[in-house]
Amino acid sequence: MWEGIYTGITTAVMPFNLLMMFVGCFAGTFIGMLPGLGPVSAVALMIPVTYGLDPSSGIILMAGVYYGAVFGASTSSILINAPGCSSTVVTAFDGYPLAQQGQAGKALALAAYSSFTGGTIGAIFLLLFAPMLAKVSLSFQSSDYFALMVLGLTAVAAFAGKGNILKALMMCVLGLMLSTVGTDRSNGVERFTFGSIEFIDGLSFLLLAMATFALAEVVMSVMDRATNAQQDQASNASSLGSMKLTKAEIKQVAPTMARSSVMGFVVGVLPGAGATIASFLAYGVERNLSSKEDKKMFGKGSLKGLAAPESANNAASTGSFVPLLTLGIPGSGTTAVMLGALIAYGIQPGPQLFVDHPDVFWSVIISMYLGNIVLLILNLPLIPYIAKLLEIPRTILIPLILFFSLTGVYLVSFNAFDIQVMVIICIAAIGLKLLDFPLAPMLLGFILGGMLEDNLRRALLINDDSMSFMWERPLTAIIMALAMLALFGQPLLNLVRAKLGQGKSQNVFDAE
Amino acid sequence: MTIAKDRIGGLIFLALSIAYGYSTTLIPMYPGDEYEVFTAKTLPFSLAIIGVVLSLALLFSARHEEKSRIPDLDWLIAIKLIALMVVYGAVLEFLGFLIGTTLFLLCGYWLLGERRKLILFFCSLPLVIFFWYVLTQLLDIYLAPGAFMTWIGGV
Repeated sequence: MWEGIYTGITTAVMPFNLLMMFVGCFAGTFIGMLPGLGPVSAVALMIPVTYGLDPSSGIILMAGVYYGAVFGASTSSILINAPGCSSTVVTAFDGYPLAQQGQAGKALALAAYSSFTGGTIGAIFLLLFAPMLAKVSLSFQSSDYFALMVLGLTAVAAFAGKGNILKALMMCVLGLMLSTVGTDRSNGVERFTFGSIEFIDGLSFLLLAMATFALAEVVMSVMDRATNAQQDQASNASSLGSMKLTKAEIKQVAPTMARSSVMGFVVGVLPGAGATIASFLAYGVERNLSSKEDKKMFGKGSLKGLAAPESANNAASTGSFVPLLTLGIPGSGTTAVMLGALIAYGIQPGPQLFVDHPDVFWSVIISMYLGNIVLLILNLPLIPYIAKLLEIPRTILIPLILFFSLTGVYLVSFNAFDIQVMVIICIAAIGLKLLDFPLAPMLLGFILGGMLEDNLRRALLINDDSMSFMWERPLTAIIMALAMLALFGQPLLNLVRAKLGQGKSQNVFDAE
Repeated sequence: MTIAKDRIGGLIFLALSIAYGYSTTLIPMYPGDEYEVFTAKTLPFSLAIIGVVLSLALLFSARHEEKSRIPDLDWLIAIKLIALMVVYGAVLEFLGFLIGTTLFLLCGYWLLGERRKLILFFCSLPLVIFFWYVLTQLLDIYLAPGAFMTWIGGV
């Protein structure tokens, strides 16, 4: 392990990689700050840039963009009450009231400290647990992988569905369907190409990610008059006020940060749960734990209420790398995009990553730690200037983002036909969003589709064409049982609650 | 205007699943595949069935769905931007990266309501030239000049 850490440190502190970390954190903060563009879009926008880099640098850049975007999103939550992504919705509950009270500077500084704490604690846990899990997962077989992917998909559906599991599951299936377009990887049969040369290689992952998470999000944000109004408000944002926290305040929020970080990490590791759930959960727990006096402050500018979700969402972002690096299964939309990028490099994340590409594995982990320091150094003094960036008119920003997304895809394929496909997917994605279908499960289904089919096929081959491995192999059976639990757990719980007459018990998610 | 989101979503997905299921029958098979348990058709066929079941479940659960209001959205601007992207895709290879992208950005700024001439100019051509320089000179990515440029230059 020490050897690995050493490899990681030497790779991560190479000047070019440090530069990538800075660039990533900065670009991420900037993109994440734009309302509507969250970490998924930020990382997706970076993919074309990383194609020219070597794998470690590319993934370090994307990791930087990831936590930069999570931090950036909280800036817009605090300053203009327009969360950049779902994981910072909670940040706005107490952050925006603080900003209205003229304490925007303090709120931003506290968000930066909380993010740092969450990210650092997350990185330390990642360092401890990822190698352990990677070693264990070396003994996994195809059937276990198949089960894990089913677990990943059901978990995403259960958590990302915003209450509607059916719709999220349908999007998983849609993603899986899209992944079958093109040439079948194991016997070379063309599927769903309808005789067109353009589809023989299948749909490009980058194209799908950009069209759904960059184009569609941007067009939606232009369409939404409410966001436009909020943006106009931003240009009259008042002064930031002092950025200093008193000793008493630090003492007050320190335990909150620690608790929320640990909880955030654990939630982040669970496939599908991710930063949004973590931030809501941390907020709810802190509200319940605090004294009556403090409880009244929640929603009106409580420091605890700001520190909890900020620590939790950063810790969860780090935590979501555990399943990605050790099992090759992304736990969230963002890590799904990163998985796609790693595969494009010819690197298959999973237990073998630890063995075949120790430099990538370790440098990502070390860069998480360094990245958090970079983020703090970069953001604390830059807060006043970053706030100014929100004043760039949308009339300029939006065409530029569209341009980056379109050329990002075009520069990889050099095929103008792809731009048209992107537009079609973008229109479909807007329709799906209007009908309340979540898009992240689709992306995850698309990424996992090929692997799921390969592993199922292999598991059947090994097992003489019998599905009995599903219940005969203990590990597979346990994972499948967890998948079923993820799927039916919540409805069952609701049913039990309704029977017991506690159906109206307060839920942390009601806060939304 | 109000719509029943779940019912519409369910119906669309049902139609999609059925069309997808029908298309699976068009996947060619190898001789001997009929004895195989897992062929190129297996997963798509299962997905089609799962899709149908899920959409029926959504339709069934949406029987009593209350119609919800369509949020107040600015459709016109979305249509304009989408049309702009389609045109960009269509003319990019003819006009070349430099001219095509400059026009795309200019039209984009204009559509969103930017009328200040200085901003319109400085955020388009110089920016595109900068990107063109970074891409072609620094990153060594070849960008075709475009049929139009070749025609003008007579190259």
